[in-house]
Amino acid sequence: MNLEAFQTRVLPSKNKLFRFAFRMLGSSEEAKDVVQEVMIKVWNGREQMAEIQNMEAWCMRITKNLSLDKLRSQQRRATDLIDEGFEVRQEGLSPHEKTELNESMQKINQMIAALPEKQRQVIHLRDIEGYSYNEICEMLELDMSQVKVSLFRARNAVREKLVKMNAYGL
Amino acid sequence: MDSRQTEQLLEKYWNCETSLEEEQQLRDFFRSEGIAEGMKETADLFRYFDQQKKVQLSESSFDGDVVRKINATRPAAKTVKMYYNYARIAAGLVVVVAATYFVGQEVRKSYPAEVTDTYSDPKLAFEETKKALMMLSKGFGKARHETEKIRLFNEAEQKVQGKQAAKEKEVVI
Repeated sequence: MNLEAFQTRVLPSKNKLFRFAFRMLGSSEEAKDVVQEVMIKVWNGREQMAEIQNMEAWCMRITKNLSLDKLRSQQRRATDLIDEGFEVRQEGLSPHEKTELNESMQKINQMIAALPEKQRQVIHLRDIEGYSYNEICEMLELDMSQVKVSLFRARNAVREKLVKMNAYGL
Repeated sequence: MDSRQTEQLLEKYWNCETSLEEEQQLRDFFRSEGIAEGMKETADLFRYFDQQKKVQLSESSFDGDVVRKINATRPAAKTVKMYYNYARIAAGLVVVVAATYFVGQEVRKSYPAEVTDTYSDPKLAFEETKKALMMLSKGFGKARHETEKIRLFNEAEQKVQGKQAAKEKEVVI
């Protein structure tokens, strides 16, 4: 793969990768770093990737793994900080991002953020990005039943909360 | 799509039985205005999905940054790897050469140096060899003379022993 092919085949996926990394990490700065790392990783390994058919799924998989690494190191850092008696800073949405989402959207955002990791990944890839189940299996390295179960649980958790929101205005 | 159809589709959606096309239909439906009050929250959910798909990497310099980083890392990575491979082979060769050298030295030390020619003139060498052999044979001659005495002594001893043996035989008889 030469630079031109890279720019036409890989770089355009950056926004999808960014959204996924952002969903997992909750910080746009870190998500951006992850996407950049993914790009460099793909470029450095381009010789071995010649036979890969679905480039985007492959990139998504790397994004997932790098984001998980980042989350783990964050957790390690967080526990270190707790040991030392510091407050852990939790980065949420920036003020700019907050104004973009109205109140109920923000609530939905929190609902999805509160889902377990796997469910959050699956609902993001299916309902926001619109990938097929097969693609999601490939991206998350899961089998079909795991993906479907996760999606079912995620959608129903969201549904339950929506019903509550409707009934009590929570 | 009327509301009854939508409800059916939604039920399928919650059960994860919808296809991607049907999910797109739902998204399109909830994008429109005038959604019934009871479906407002669900509409918000689908609008949220729609909206999230529009989120983009805000930085416009991103592509440039990536390309720059790629160009910066490419040559270094390759040459380092190549040198590393050559260095491994070279190190192996050095070890083999050094080992043969030291082993050879040890072997040479444990064996004395080979005899080298001392004379260049063959006649002179012949004379010297003759002299050396004469000296040897003189020594041999002297030694033979001395052993003559031992032979005599041996013979005498055997004679004495023979007599003794005969005496003993007589005694037995």
